Amino acid sequence: MSLSQEQMQALYRNLVRADHFNRMMYRRMMQGKLIGFYHPAEGAIAPGVAACTFLNQDDNLSPHHRGHGITHMLSKGIDIKYYLAEHTGKETGCCQGRSAFHFSFPEHKVYMMSGFIGYNFAPSVGWGLAAKRRQQGQVVMNCSGDGSYGQGRAHEALLMAENWKLPIIFFCENNGMSIFSEASEMHPVADISSMAKAYDMNAVICDGQDVFAVAEAVLPAIERARAGEGPTFVEAKTLRFNEHDIGTPDLAGWEARSDEVHADMRDREPVAIATKRVLAEGVLSQDDIDRLNEEALAEIEAVEEFADNSEIARPSEASLLADVFAPGEAV
Amino acid sequence: MAIDYVMPKLAMAMNEGTINEWLVAEGDYVEKGAELASIETEKVAYDVESPEAGYIHIIVPAGETVECEVRVAQFAESEEELASLQQAAAAPAESAAVENASEQPIEQVTATAPRVAGERIKASPLARKMAGQSGLDLATIAGTGPGGRIVKRDVLAARERPAAVAAPVTASTAIELARIPMKGTPRAAIARRMVESLQSTAQLASSWEADITDLLDVRRRLVSREEQLGTRVSVNALLVKAIVGAIQQVPMANSALEGDDIVIYKAVHMGIAVSLPGATEYDTTLMVPVLKDVDRMSVVEIDRAMKALIGRARSGELSAEEMSGSTITLSSTAGLAPPGLTTAPILNLPNGMIVGPSTPIERPMVRDGEVRICTMLPLSVTFDHRVMDGEPFARFATALTERLENPELLLV
Amino acid sequence: MRTITLIEAIKEAYQEEMRRDDAVFMVGQDIRGGIFPHTKGLVEEFGPDRILDTPIAESGMYGAAFGAAQEGLRPIVDFMFGGFSYVTFSECSVTTGQYYFLHGSQQSLPIVMTAGVGTGQRLANDHAMSIHGTFAHHPGIKVAMPSTPYDAKGMFKAAIRDNNPVMIPWHMGIMMLKGEVPDEEYIVPLGVADVKREGTDCTVLANSMQLQNALKVAEKLEGDISVEIIDPRSFVPFDIETVLTSLEKTNRLVVVDEDWESGGFAATVSARIMEQGFDLLDAPVTRVTLPNMPVPGGYMEEYVAPNPEKIEAAIRAVCA
Repeated sequence: MSLSQEQMQALYRNLVRADHFNRMMYRRMMQGKLIGFYHPAEGAIAPGVAACTFLNQDDNLSPHHRGHGITHMLSKGIDIKYYLAEHTGKETGCCQGRSAFHFSFPEHKVYMMSGFIGYNFAPSVGWGLAAKRRQQGQVVMNCSGDGSYGQGRAHEALLMAENWKLPIIFFCENNGMSIFSEASEMHPVADISSMAKAYDMNAVICDGQDVFAVAEAVLPAIERARAGEGPTFVEAKTLRFNEHDIGTPDLAGWEARSDEVHADMRDREPVAIATKRVLAEGVLSQDDIDRLNEEALAEIEAVEEFADNSEIARPSEASLLADVFAPGEAV
Repeated sequence: MAIDYVMPKLAMAMNEGTINEWLVAEGDYVEKGAELASIETEKVAYDVESPEAGYIHIIVPAGETVECEVRVAQFAESEEELASLQQAAAAPAESAAVENASEQPIEQVTATAPRVAGERIKASPLARKMAGQSGLDLATIAGTGPGGRIVKRDVLAARERPAAVAAPVTASTAIELARIPMKGTPRAAIARRMVESLQSTAQLASSWEADITDLLDVRRRLVSREEQLGTRVSVNALLVKAIVGAIQQVPMANSALEGDDIVIYKAVHMGIAVSLPGATEYDTTLMVPVLKDVDRMSVVEIDRAMKALIGRARSGELSAEEMSGSTITLSSTAGLAPPGLTTAPILNLPNGMIVGPSTPIERPMVRDGEVRICTMLPLSVTFDHRVMDGEPFARFATALTERLENPELLLV
Repeated sequence: MRTITLIEAIKEAYQEEMRRDDAVFMVGQDIRGGIFPHTKGLVEEFGPDRILDTPIAESGMYGAAFGAAQEGLRPIVDFMFGGFSYVTFSECSVTTGQYYFLHGSQQSLPIVMTAGVGTGQRLANDHAMSIHGTFAHHPGIKVAMPSTPYDAKGMFKAAIRDNNPVMIPWHMGIMMLKGEVPDEEYIVPLGVADVKREGTDCTVLANSMQLQNALKVAEKLEGDISVEIIDPRSFVPFDIETVLTSLEKTNRLVVVDEDWESGGFAATVSARIMEQGFDLLDAPVTRVTLPNMPVPGGYMEEYVAPNPEKIEAAIRAVCA
């Protein structure tokens, strides 16, 4: 399929925003202005933008932990200021400042976060089941890394999704790394999507550094799911420019990733690739691009101001204890 | 306004970081984004970029390790501000952690509340064991632990005290004449109530003598009409009548503490202490049956009713009604004790007063400037100073004495 | 004697035991590169066949250890963070704990499990929760946690040499705690508590980071209340005798446990002390625990978790 100009513009805009947001998070972490931790997404933002830009509000989304889901959430239209407030321990955070790094925007069908890699596989089966029951064309976008497909739960989810023909897109952002472990050491097969074959599931592979290529792969999968034709495994081959999380060394196995590896990766920088194409095809002018960058920076400034001006959440222990269970009973 | 730069907390489980090298010098003007320092965590070293622009004042020198979120430098807006920061550094550098002080009030258990008489005795297991080993009755020990709990230090203190009511610390090895078990007998209850009375009230005892010479004369005349009256009127009956009269003049004497209230009664229910035989030939037991509404009785009615009551007490035929409800108590040792005996009777809870006459004594007294032999009745009265003060007591004592010494007042 | 950190002490234990016995090997995720300093460099000395990285597959990872143990090897399983062991709970707790007993005492499992745990990093429940209470609850697994570098090295060596399954997490908050260790080889046996500070007025039972908190409080209260501090070191088996002996002197016990109030080690100790030491108690056993809420990751973690203020308040209450 080919993308319309409007689609390409929307994708490019979100890519620029995601890039600036990731830099902001990295900077703040180094300045001691975030709580918890941060897994930087430099070089890895194109897949999330493509997967989420065209989702509807009532589609389920489980964002990848890389970039803490900011790429995915901003592409789906979620206001990141509440997430930054959460990540700075503020009362105005999406989890009332209780969680350090968990996102939760139920009205946008982004329910939760967890520190357990692969936590989203089991629940996504349930989301798919509910969507199928409702018959309103909702889809489930499950964004996970290559490492998480080591979990038994991932295989259970693939099995059940195909068996029940659930409207789930298993969107694998394969950057070849899990903290220090290389996918080439941890998987016998280079293409993670090969496991879809075992379940007779549709699978497609795309270039995760090219946001437009990813969109071209994922949009048909979304349409299939909406039409009730079942799940698709979309594998985006992407890259991780930085260390796994800030403060952890950038190793492959037990040795530092070389300068060559880094240089090769940076040849495939997603914003540069997309910029080249939109200029070449006249989708956007340089002025448009400058304006988009300015808008992104202004957006970030407002997000930071909101978070920095909010109060730190310090509820009493008693009030927290009283809020372990939800009030009320089923009628 | 100077901006703090803190040791960033990077990565999971980072607790501290080391400034390997400052890449700027003290006082330099640093641009935002310029290389600031080389910081090493437990796992990895970083070159950090300056988050701010400003004149840098270094607080933690290179080579030092600090905990995360400790301030390591400050950015001053102007050279003047820089100078003031540098001067302030002459004082020991504070490590300003991100505000994280605990603001939650810490619940402290408040200490002792006095034990209310009659409440279940609270004692720690250790205190119980220690008291048992020493033969100490927990009822005699005041508790200073939380909620009035008796704890080890209280038992230790009680051991130091000379034994007042308690059994001796070491039993004697003398040959026994009799051994009377108290557990489960009325004696145990009497013992407990006596201690309870002494410990829970503010008892004040007074003794004086009333001249009953004329009263005894009246009594003789009443006794001579024994058949007509149907009873041999006792001195006690006249005494009760006098007490009633005195109460009517000073109602405060007929009162009690009920919970947090002082109740002054209208009716007079007279408790009468009666000594009864005990378990052996050596001991006795004590009862205080109640004669109700004596304020409505004549001397003869008092005498008859009192004797009948005492008779029922001795034969064990008292009704439940008669066992309780007194508003004041009479406890007489007249006829048993040596003449003139004064005592300090123990209040019969919950009464606010107890009247304890004893055996009359002949004394030379001054009357109208002459010495005469008079019969004096010793009166020992104890009242509860929580309920009433010396002033009403004194007025009562005077009113009682007046009636005893001027028996015509018993007619009004 | 040398001064090293707690995490270095664990690494020394690993190195010494792996040099001593070829059967000892390690399995975990990203341990070759070393998420934490104690596994960094081990692959260079012992080779990739003894320091194994696995995919993110906890059940498979633990299964590798479990089966290897049945076949005569001595695995150390590193879960990275304590909570991640729950991803394979049935294998590493139920199946492991019951294996020796239910199969007629035929074969024991010399498995060591470890992970980082503990509050103070603002990482929220998944990364911060303690697991010793849960593992102590299911029979058949020894459970311990070190509080000092000396204990860490000695206890990890004891755990590796033990023929039974041992879960021995370590607290991230004391990762860099420095302490002295002897130059010569030594073992700290499991199942033995340690009086870390002597006192006369009140006994405080505390472990790992909370032990360090208790020591701070005891120093602060010196001259006012004399606090005796006991480190249980092991939760299963638990050395209650040391605590009872202490209570003969102090008659007062505060149990500090960085675990939830409900159903944890502190509750178990309180019940046992009541049963076995009732007459020694001059005050009720008082616990300082995590309130029954998921461990939050925001700033409130600091004041809901056990901390020096809460420990001090408990000591004062028990001495009132």
